[in-house]
Order: sequence, then structure tokens, then C-alpha cells
Amino acid sequence: MQHGALERDEIGAGASYASYRLGAAYDEMFAKPGEVRAPYAALAARLAVLPQDELRRRQQACEQSFLQQGITFTVYSDAQATERIIPTDLLPRIVTAAEWARIEAGLKQRIAALNLFLADIYTDGRVLKDRIVPRRMIYGSKHYRREMRGLPVPHGAYVNICGTDLVRREDGAFVVLEDNLRVPSGVSYMLANRDVVRRAFPGIFRAARVKPIEHYPQELLATLKSLAPFQEDVSIAVLTPGVFNSAYFEHAFLARQMGVELVEGRDLLVNDNVVYTRTTSGLKRIDVLYRRVDDDFIDPLIFRSDSALGVPGIFNAYRAGNVVIANALGTGVADDKAVYAYVPRLIRYYLSEEPILDNVETFLCREPASLSHVLANLDKLVVKAVGESGGYGMLVGPHASKAEREVFAGKLKSDPDNYIAQPTIQLSTAPTFVDGEVEPRHVDLRPFILHGEETRIVPGGLTRVALKKGSLVVNSSQGGGSKDTWVLSE
Amino acid sequence: MLSRVADSLYWMSRYLERAEHTARLLAVKLEAMVEQSKEDAETSWLRVVTALSAEKFAGDVADPFDVTHALALDRFNRSSLVNSLRFARDNARQVREQLSTEVWEHLNRLYLRLQTVSIDGIRVHQPARFFRDVLEDLYTLGGVTYTTLRHGEGWRFLELGRFIERAQLVSRLLDIYFGVTVAGSVQPPPPKYSDWLELLKFCTAFEPYCKEHTAVIRPERIAEFLLFDAEFPHSVRFAVDRVGETLSHVAPGAPPARRAPCERLAGKLKAAVDFGQIDDLAGASIDRFLADISQQCEQIHDAVYAAYIVYDAEAVL
Repeated sequence: MQHGALERDEIGAGASYASYRLGAAYDEMFAKPGEVRAPYAALAARLAVLPQDELRRRQQACEQSFLQQGITFTVYSDAQATERIIPTDLLPRIVTAAEWARIEAGLKQRIAALNLFLADIYTDGRVLKDRIVPRRMIYGSKHYRREMRGLPVPHGAYVNICGTDLVRREDGAFVVLEDNLRVPSGVSYMLANRDVVRRAFPGIFRAARVKPIEHYPQELLATLKSLAPFQEDVSIAVLTPGVFNSAYFEHAFLARQMGVELVEGRDLLVNDNVVYTRTTSGLKRIDVLYRRVDDDFIDPLIFRSDSALGVPGIFNAYRAGNVVIANALGTGVADDKAVYAYVPRLIRYYLSEEPILDNVETFLCREPASLSHVLANLDKLVVKAVGESGGYGMLVGPHASKAEREVFAGKLKSDPDNYIAQPTIQLSTAPTFVDGEVEPRHVDLRPFILHGEETRIVPGGLTRVALKKGSLVVNSSQGGGSKDTWVLSE
Repeated sequence: MLSRVADSLYWMSRYLERAEHTARLLAVKLEAMVEQSKEDAETSWLRVVTALSAEKFAGDVADPFDVTHALALDRFNRSSLVNSLRFARDNARQVREQLSTEVWEHLNRLYLRLQTVSIDGIRVHQPARFFRDVLEDLYTLGGVTYTTLRHGEGWRFLELGRFIERAQLVSRLLDIYFGVTVAGSVQPPPPKYSDWLELLKFCTAFEPYCKEHTAVIRPERIAEFLLFDAEFPHSVRFAVDRVGETLSHVAPGAPPARRAPCERLAGKLKAAVDFGQIDDLAGASIDRFLADISQQCEQIHDAVYAAYIVYDAEAVL
């Protein structure tokens, strides 16, 4: 009863919707069984006539191309490191112009408030004195960097590159699931997906008038450049942990696309509070560093002394104003899952505006009333450790066994500050090509926000998709894939 | 150019040259084998094993596929063909943003293709054909590199790696035929006519040699050709000449004092091969001459690293 969405071609070609069962979640393509939403009409029509083998062949060609290009990430959880591709699903995820306008305005508002918040907690701490946010939550956070106190950053922009994860609720509204303010990744997949999907569906791509995203590297470069104290001959570099990092492909990709140097910690040295790279011709000064190395590892003299990825002395060069580091250090304190719960209040506090994008309802286990609510409803909630990311350290209540829930209940009672809980949100589903059938799979959306002298967002983002049937976990480390995201011009 | 990048490009290229050399030796050897007696084949396999610095596999020469496996596919042999390609690709991956898409994808494709090859697969099909195909891929990669990469400093470091490696590989090969160092406890018999042909083919030199000297195979002419020919890309002199030429283009911003040691060493080596002549190398002195070339190549490598790659910050501030 869920299929029959489209007339099947008489020769038996075309995608089969036999297993397309709509659940409780909002479906991106079908308003109800058999009724295709307007933005997806062209895609649905194309799928109806495209022989299934052809779709499969294009899917394989796409995977082959990723492998050859080396667009891979490395999985270390196995006994040995293996290179894998992030599976790209060829069916695009479509966002209308009106939806995008709202998302864009909401994200700009959010990053403005988060930057004001960071500037505040690293200077006067007004928000703490006014008791908007508990003092202990900030000063007790392992991501709060005392070393940053009182240190001015260009344009007051602490977070220069942000990846915010959005999900669509059952009612169709986009809400914020989390902010990634440290070293968000995935933008290279956004660009690579566009490349292959545009080739797979050139006709409907052109007809749909999809907004371009190819200028992301130029926008990133302009943002980084705007952070330098002068605008002539700015020397910019991307700092990578090295070839063994799972996002290495992206680091190399961005450096190449921007036409700047890709450097590792061992290429850099600091002399007299100035950062240099070691080149064949001698030392060359660096003015702006887009670092893809975590705070902890960036300077062994200040942070983790066992770090081999960092640059001894770079923090002093930063303090001295001789190098700009983007994102600034210490931004992680604001993307903590506990601080997340306060972001709507921060928007009202700093901007005197109502949040354009809602948060997901969040219970802070540090509050006793919330804790008992969470413990009583563990089978309905998603519990997350405050400082973790990548889908680690979380419990998806409805999918967990009784034993797993009991283990987590113990953790919650012994360390409530470390956990938050949210209702299981039925992330929206989008048509996905799985084993020769088109089936609904849960998706999220991570747009990338650039913030320097001004805020820029390229229209689109990375749509991540949970390829496992029924799964709500979209992280690549947990079997997720990705899709191209089409933001329509009208 | 970043010193680390120069380092990776240099080694990428050295490993590719090594892979090409290995593939060519195996292709030629497997082609020649069909016409050789078992004893002759084993003797010449021993030379191949020695030429590829894989003496520990000297015991495998009785079975051509055992030794082919060891030299081409063995993951535990650091100098096997697949490992040379793996090291080349690892280095390339670290400087991915410095290479053209064409270069990277060509190399990556070749690497991925070889991941699934087994010795049984090679045995079933024409074995020499397999290595000819790899060789062709590597030649194509050379062309793709030449034609899609800017001939800037990065390209110069690729050239440097390739030609230092080549000078050493050819010297080592000549040493095996004209000198005394061959694996195994028993001294092999002196090379025969077919062995000299093989040596020329190992260096892609058969046709060029014939054009120069006709098909009259004379060992001292072969030595002369592979050492001193100014125009043949696999002669030692040609490689040394390219090393010197390349060194005058790397690190354009480095002051003369820092460049001097490299250029002096390269000039010294160039003089030796430009003005050397085969008549001076009669008897045992060719041994010493070849060892000298190899040693000077290593000195040049060390000088390049000291001047451009691993220098102390204090030395340049």
C-alpha cells in the first residue's frame, strides 16, 4: 500500500518503490504514499524511467571514482587501519529556496550569538555574572582554555569555520542538533558529491536551477585572509595532523583548492614569536593558519606535552599577535552538548532576538528534576555524553537492550553533569538507493558557516545518511554515507 | 617549496624508478627464460636478485615463480615491486596537493590494481606480459608527469630522485656483470652472449646500442655505452648530468653558500663520467669506479638533505 507512487514503466524499468514504507518521520520526497512533493517531482519522473541497472552502474562508477581519487577516510577501529570511501548516494537531497532562506538567517544569528558568547566568557564573563549560564559549566569544562582569557581575536571572531548539524522534525521544521565549533569536517564531501551527482543527473540538475557551491574554497580563503592584520601578501597555510588523520584528504583538498600550502607541525617552527615554515630556500613566515589540529595538540609547551603534531611555541606567537589561528583556541567550550541547551537563551541575551532555528528539546542531567525524568524515560530518549562527538558514548534508548539501558542508568547516576538527554527525534527520511531499491533512510544536514569580517554560507551542505535500515546514526564512523544537497534557486 | 614536500616528491620518484627497474628486470628475465637451460636461468636469476638488493631470496632461484613472487609481490620484502609502489604512493599521498590530479590518479589506479594480483594469476596468464603492462603504466606515468605538472621546483625534486636512483641502479647492474659481487657461495660462470643481451635489455639499451655499435656484442662497448653515452637516458653519464642540471634549479632562494656543497659534489661526479673512458677501466679498476659513483651519489643525497631539507633553523636565521 505504500508503493505505487509512480506508474511503473511497462518494460519493467525504473526504480521500484516496493520497499518505500513511510514511517513516523517526515519524508523529504513523499508527502504521503503516492504523493510526491513538488521539488522532487522531476527526480521522481527521472527515476521512473531510468533502468535500475543504469542507476546501479552509475552508483558503482561513482564509488570507483572516489576510490581512484583517493577520497577515502581511514578507519582505525579495525585491527589495522583501512582506507574506505564514504558511500555517496546518488539521489540528491533537495532543499527549497524558502527553507534555505530560513536556515541561512538562523545560522547567521546563531554564529553571531556564539561568537559573542565566546568573547564574553574569555573576557568579562557578563553572561556568568548575570546567571544566564552556570559558572561551573564553563570554568569546569575541559574545553575552556584559561590561556585565552583577555586575548583579542580579529573581528571578535572566535569561530571562523563552523559546521552546524540540522535535522528535520516530524512537523517538517529544521532544528539544530549540534554545533561543531572546533575543527568541523565534511566540506570536501559536499563538493565531491556535487561533482559526481551533477554528472549522474545532468538534465534534472540543470532544470532544477540548483544554487552553486563550487566557490566554497574561495570564500574560505577570503575569510581566512580577512583575519590577517594586513591585506597585502598574506601568507596562509592549512595545518594538518598528517596523512594518518581520517580527514587528511579534505585537508589536502582544501589547501589545493585555495592554492595555499598544506603544512604539518614538523614543517613549522617558531623563532622570536614568529611562525615559519621550513622551505628548501629557507624559512618563510606564516600569517594565518587554518588549523585542523585539536586544541590539545597544537602546542606541546602549553597543552599536551606529548603531542607530536603541534608546534612548540606557537601559542606565544599567537599571543604576541604574530599569527592568526582559525578557529581560535578554546572554541570547544561552546559546542559542548550542555552549552548547546543554552544557545536559545544566549541568542535572546546577546541579540535580543527570538531564535530563528529551534533547538531539539534537551534535558540537562545536572539538574535533578531532569535527571529523574531521564531515568524514568530512558527507553524513549537519546542520551549523549557532553564532551563526545562522532556518535561515540551515546545511548539510543528505543533501540537499546534493557541491559544496555541499565549500564547507562548507572553512568548517569554517578556522573550526571556529563550527560544530556533528548527525545528520539525521527530524523527525516530521504529516498536512497539501497540494494537495487529506492528506500527511505534517515538524513541530517550540515551546512558550513564561514565567519570573519563578514559571515558567508554557501547554499548547501553535507547531507549525511544512515544507510542501515531504521538507523538514526549518520556518522561516517558508524556506517553513514552522504548525499549531494540541492538548494533550489526558487 | 616546503622541505617536507621536497622530501616526499624526491622519495616518491626514487621509489617509482625502483619499481620501474624491478618490473623491467622481471619482464626481461621472464621473457628470456624460455630459451635458457635451467643452469643458465638460475645464474641469471641470481644476478637479478643481486641487482635488486634481494640477496636473501637467492635460495628461491630454482623456481622462477617463487623468486618472481619474492621480487614482485612479497609484502615482507621491502624492495618488492608492490612495496616500491606502495612507498611511492604513500609519499605521493602526503603531497597530494602538489601533484596534478592526472599524476595522482594514474599512480593510485596502478597501486590499487596491483593490490589484488597474486602469483597464481601471473602464472596463468603470460607472466612477462604482466610486467610489461606494469612497465607501460609506469612509462605513461612518466609522460603524464612531464606533461601535466609545472616544471617548477617540485618537478625538479622528482627529477633529482629519479636520476640519483637511476645512476645507482645502473652502476649496481654493471658491477654485477663486470665486477665480482653476485649472491651465492659459488662464483658464477662469466656472462655469455645471451647474458650480455639481457643486460642491455635490462636497461632498455638493446636497440640504442645496436644503432651505435651494430649488433656486434662486445662487453667493453656495452660498459662504455651504459656508463658514458651522453645521450642515452639510462646511461650513468646521462643520469649524472641530469642530477647536476637539476641541482642548479632547486631552492632558488637559497644563498650561494648553502648551495655550494651540493653543486661541488655534483660537478665532481659529472667530471668523472664526462671525461672517463673505458680504456682506463681495464681489470679490477671498473669495480672501484662503479663503487665511487654509487658513493658519490650518496654524498650528493646527504648534501641536498643538509642544505635544503633537514637544516637547523639556527643555520638560516
